[in-house]
Amino acid sequence: MERFKASLLKEILLLLHDKVGLLLMYLMPMLLVFIITIVQDSAFRLVNENRLDILIVNNDKGPLGDSLVQSMKNAGSFKIDVKKGINEDQLANLTLEGSKLATLFVPSTFSQRLSSNSQRISDAMLSEFGMEAESRSNAGNKNEVRGGVQLIFDPVLQESFQVTLINNLQTMISGIESKEMIRQLFADMGYDEIPSKILKELNRTPTKIVAKPAMSGESAMIPNSTQHNVPAWSIFAMFFMVISLGSNLVKERLSGSFVRLQTIPGSFLHAMFAKIAVYSFVALTQLMIMFAIGVFVFPLIGLPKLNLPSHIFPFLLISVLSAMAAISYAAMVGTYAKTQEQANGFGAISIIIFAAIGGIWVPSFVMPDYMVVISKLSPLHWCLEGFYSLFLKDGSWNQLMGPVIYLISFTVFCQFLALWKLRRQHYI
Amino acid sequence: MTEFKNTSHILKVSGIWKRYPKADTNSLSEVSFDVFRGEKLGIFGPNGAGKTTLISILSGILPQTSGEVNYFIDNESANFKKILPKIGFVPQDFALYQELTATQNLRYFGKMHGLKNPELEKKIMHLLTILGLDHVGNRKLDTFSGGMKRRINLAIGLINDPEILFLDEPTVGVDVQSKVAIMTLLNDLNAKGTTMIYTSHHLREAEDFCDRTLLLDNGRIIAEGTLNDLLKEHKAESLEDLLIHLTGKALRD
Repeated sequence: MERFKASLLKEILLLLHDKVGLLLMYLMPMLLVFIITIVQDSAFRLVNENRLDILIVNNDKGPLGDSLVQSMKNAGSFKIDVKKGINEDQLANLTLEGSKLATLFVPSTFSQRLSSNSQRISDAMLSEFGMEAESRSNAGNKNEVRGGVQLIFDPVLQESFQVTLINNLQTMISGIESKEMIRQLFADMGYDEIPSKILKELNRTPTKIVAKPAMSGESAMIPNSTQHNVPAWSIFAMFFMVISLGSNLVKERLSGSFVRLQTIPGSFLHAMFAKIAVYSFVALTQLMIMFAIGVFVFPLIGLPKLNLPSHIFPFLLISVLSAMAAISYAAMVGTYAKTQEQANGFGAISIIIFAAIGGIWVPSFVMPDYMVVISKLSPLHWCLEGFYSLFLKDGSWNQLMGPVIYLISFTVFCQFLALWKLRRQHYI
Repeated sequence: MTEFKNTSHILKVSGIWKRYPKADTNSLSEVSFDVFRGEKLGIFGPNGAGKTTLISILSGILPQTSGEVNYFIDNESANFKKILPKIGFVPQDFALYQELTATQNLRYFGKMHGLKNPELEKKIMHLLTILGLDHVGNRKLDTFSGGMKRRINLAIGLINDPEILFLDEPTVGVDVQSKVAIMTLLNDLNAKGTTMIYTSHHLREAEDFCDRTLLLDNGRIIAEGTLNDLLKEHKAESLEDLLIHLTGKALRD
């Protein structure tokens, strides 16, 4: 025990000696979580909180262009600026030069076109009922009016936002078209306007879609950028300790300190376990600090608060297993690397690859099928799965079983390979 | 130079061979010799002769490919695990933590040897004092000169009061003051009974220090005995002459 305590003290002193390195170990993950969460939260707000900046050039000579503008304003998803009398040819330059992400061009014939469509459908319906429009004959209204709505995007606008915008626009135009068709139908039947009773029904709020996350328990956690990012980037930071621990191991080996320990019976394993214990402590404190930031600091800067899981034991278990997996991987890299440069280079790149395939940057469900299979090789994926089960689902043992088994197996595998190599090198 | 008289074995090396994995040649071939309690045995040879490999095998750092290394306690053959706590090892590299102070280094390795306070603290103070480092005990080693680091490297090897001390180039790269301090301490320890197995390229220093000499070349023993006997036998004037005479002037890798 004295040897273990002496080794613990030595590791702590070595860590404290490198104050900048120690600070970076805590500061870098904090910066990562802040930046990524703020950026993702902004993207989330862009489409959900009136932030998609759009210019509408409304040249429509009829009333329906204004209806479309009003519908877009009512939708609440866009920040809208309206102009009139701008030429179609100027649109591209207007979008590229201006600060708007998209320009919607409503042509002068927009109302005429919608009315014409509605009239055709209305006529067809009356004809089906064996009736004829009162005000005119069918013959004069069959010419289709040219010129549809145009949407010009700033090239920087991501495709997902483009699709969101197009879908929104399509829904609004369909609404206006339906209303116009009914108005036309009544007009053809001799009414001056849609009867108020029917108009009232038409204006009623459409059937609402209630969206909520699937939960088998009573958890009230709502998925948001914080719930995703804090665990994800905390895991990334823990695994990135491969640089510190890996190069620390190589340095001790190359300096000859390990050789000296070889001549002291039983001392080497104490030194190794103390190293693992100290770095596991660092990893767990990293995690605690990141979670504390999510809970206490994020709400102060307008980010969603991190809701911690209610099941404390599974939460601690996944945290400890994630830390052990990260440290064991770092120990393995440090044992096999021949130089500090190798440990740093391979360690960093391998963690970035593990993070990429493990779903830290992009969720694994958006990956192609073969990448989804490959993602299961990444320890970061299983750490993330464990935390997702706790943070976003109800964290039942059934959900946690996979991550727990994988993380234990991964830890044992890395430790075994590290010890095997150390034995081959006659350190133990 | 003293003539060695003790015939009580502390170490007996019988026909050891060493070949590293993937190597084309043996690093050691059929090496056999005895080490007697309280003697100072110098192992010399050109670069690549096998000196460090031999010391590494004797101190338990490397296993031999074949052959036997037997240690003796009170003339009885002893298990290597029993002898290990009695071994001190001073490697050629600075095998220490430059980020820690001299005292912290000595305390760490002392505790790894199983030493306890207050004896350990007394021992640390004693070693720092006799090596002239007591005034810098609380300074980090990365602020030390090469000579000071070399003295701490030696102090760590002595922290467990070893009965047998392996010294791999203990004075390489140090100034004359540090060299004198180190050699004086080693002679004092030997006078108290510590057996020493020593390698060095400082042949003048070795002539004065060693009781007996083992010359290695290409992993084989090419000469063994007291320096006087070897000089007479090969009609050489110094250890340097003797080495050139036996191993030639060709440069080694």
